[in-house]
Amino acid sequence: MASRLKAAERKASILAVAKVLFADKGFHGVSVDEIAKRLGVSPAVLYQHFVSKEALYEAALNSISGKRESYVNAVVEEPSDFASVLMRMTQVFVDSVSRDPDYLRMELMSALEDNAAAKQFFENRWRTFTDYIEFSLKELAEKKEVGVIDPRMASLMFQGMLREALYTKCILKENRYSDISLNKLVKQFIDIFLKSIEYHKD
Amino acid sequence: MSNEQVVLDASGLNCPLPILRAKKSIAGLNSGQVLHITATDPGAVKDFEAFCKQTGNELLKSGEDNGKFIFEIRKP
Repeated sequence: MASRLKAAERKASILAVAKVLFADKGFHGVSVDEIAKRLGVSPAVLYQHFVSKEALYEAALNSISGKRESYVNAVVEEPSDFASVLMRMTQVFVDSVSRDPDYLRMELMSALEDNAAAKQFFENRWRTFTDYIEFSLKELAEKKEVGVIDPRMASLMFQGMLREALYTKCILKENRYSDISLNKLVKQFIDIFLKSIEYHKD
Repeated sequence: MSNEQVVLDASGLNCPLPILRAKKSIAGLNSGQVLHITATDPGAVKDFEAFCKQTGNELLKSGEDNGKFIFEIRKP
């Protein structure tokens, strides 16, 4: 029989198990029964903490994604130029994902599943970057501090580079790039990105 | 000191844009002036709390009105 835990501890243990299972098998591949069985409790115990499987899935994602406060800090700290803010925002995201690559696995699984809520969740996370880049590039273009470039394409390029860096180092762990740390790889990608959009500060 | 309302409409913008726009608007205010912000991103509530905590600006009001989130921030 599972020992009696305090509510917060119970909730945390549910999230920890759910996260691992969702990362392994995706949203549709895991049942609430399976999560409960793994914890040694009845499904009713899970539903005391989470109203639905969807809510549990979202809570599992939130438990490992970067905190909003950290993005706010990245935006308000100095220096406030586009490149510096982008680097800080990226660091927030990279730090949280590299601490727990189950986030990336859940994202990969959600892309293959027909799970609208999950797709929206991950899209919203990327929008933090794509919106910032598109908004900033429009402003920078007016000041002629970037080349002529479609902001939407530029933001998609950035998303692709960052996602690839994370997959390469955190999921695939390719030997070919074992000599370079994730942070260095990300920094180089950002440098390449800034050069490609012809970014220059006055 | 101007009594004119300084208004920022951040409707339709998601994190971090409301914060970015607010930061720029507040930079242009005089000490004691208040920025009135409207936003639609539900995350803006926590974002502006964190923003004021980080920057020392005063969050006078945080609420909802007609389905939108409204904030009043005073520059110290």
